[in-house]
Amino acid sequence: MSDAFCSDCKRQTEVVFDHSAGDTVCSECGLVLESHSIDETSEWRTFANESGDNDPVRVGGPTNPLLTDGGLSTVIAKPSGGSSEFLSLGLVATIKDRANEIYKRVEDQKSSRGRNQDALLAACLYIACRQEDKPRTVKEICSVANGATKKEIGRAKEYIVKQLGLEQGQSVEMGTIHAGDFMRRFCSNLGMTNQAVKAAQEAVQKSEEFDIRRSPISIAAAVIYIITQLSDDKKPLKDISVATGVAEGTIRNSYKDLYPHVSKIIPSWYAKEDDLKNLCSP
Amino acid sequence: MAEQALEGSQPVDLTKHPSGIVPTLQNIVSTVSLDCKLELKSIALQARNAEYNPKRFAAVIMRIREPKTTALIFASGKMVCTGAKSEQQSKLAARKYARIIQKLGFPAKFKDFKIQNIVGSCDVKFPIRLEGLAYSHGAFSSYEPELFPGLIYRMKQPKIVLLIFVSGKIVLTGAKVRDETYTAFENIYPVLTEFRKNQQ
Repeated sequence: MSDAFCSDCKRQTEVVFDHSAGDTVCSECGLVLESHSIDETSEWRTFANESGDNDPVRVGGPTNPLLTDGGLSTVIAKPSGGSSEFLSLGLVATIKDRANEIYKRVEDQKSSRGRNQDALLAACLYIACRQEDKPRTVKEICSVANGATKKEIGRAKEYIVKQLGLEQGQSVEMGTIHAGDFMRRFCSNLGMTNQAVKAAQEAVQKSEEFDIRRSPISIAAAVIYIITQLSDDKKPLKDISVATGVAEGTIRNSYKDLYPHVSKIIPSWYAKEDDLKNLCSP
Repeated sequence: MAEQALEGSQPVDLTKHPSGIVPTLQNIVSTVSLDCKLELKSIALQARNAEYNPKRFAAVIMRIREPKTTALIFASGKMVCTGAKSEQQSKLAARKYARIIQKLGFPAKFKDFKIQNIVGSCDVKFPIRLEGLAYSHGAFSSYEPELFPGLIYRMKQPKIVLLIFVSGKIVLTGAKVRDETYTAFENIYPVLTEFRKNQQ
């Protein structure tokens, strides 16, 4: 109840607000002073002892620039697409967003028809990781790629780089992978000490000065093998193979290639010359 | 090695090859039209050097020993000849295949012979920093050591694809005339010397 001017009574009278109709009514003559008012108060009340699982909010999420209409339409069926891939690899949101953006740009060109969708999604993920400076090996991407092979992903990646290059009028810059890019994650998977990790990182940096014709990932695996052999916590080849995705035979052969340079590669603060002699001959 | 024999037999023409290195041709792919419909089954049955699996591939695969080549012979009368080491040998081989087809009773002619692809290779004899090259020539380079150990260089002029390996071995492919291969190599050679990997 409040006071308002009633044109019929020609004076200030008490008014009643009818919530259900949205009308303001004069309490003396019954004249409707205002109608169809919008009730801006809360629709419901929350109590301390209620659980928070039911949220009756009527508004949707924010607009999504990756969707064609900004996400304003209603989706009948939600595609299961890419989200499961990101969860498996433990990737951060920026990489996820980047991958979605890349996929949308390729999809918008309407030229991915007939292409292997799994390989295309995996390649978008691979490129996003590279562009965000957190590269993953192709083998790691393969493990979440729904059966797409390494070669298929490689081909899809070339295709995407070409398409985006045509769109931007310049090449898509990703740089080249280095052994050091993967070192921290590989060492973490093996549970190595911080000192050993630091030594391994220094070692792969130095190894790039030599003419070792191996994949950077194989070199990373071989360096980890050397560092762990020099430490108290020795790792068997099998564990290193599982953590890095490099075959045991390849690690052995890469170790053979690194062995002649081992005194220059391993930091002197980590292992002395005498310790290096203890390394088994390949 | 053919390259050394070539260098030994005659001096390298430095006006044409300033680098002093001449790529060796490794493979020629050529096509020719025999200009008549062919019965592939009868060819496969009569010719001793032919194999034909229509479920796997729709052409007869025929080989001769000299020049050592392989031909794909289609029912339409088109033929692809691969494996020759020079343009002349490719044409000679194609003529030999056409002659074999004629002897089997088909009115084969020899029309529209064309070299489709020339593959060359050579060795610059020093290691190369592929990553530096890929970085400097990003627009032309693709270097993915996880997927392929060599750097794929797509030269625009002439339109040749080069495979560049750390060891200094180079493969050049996509040429239709020999000079394109030579020109492409002379174009890339200064770049390779720029990214020479100095030994520790």
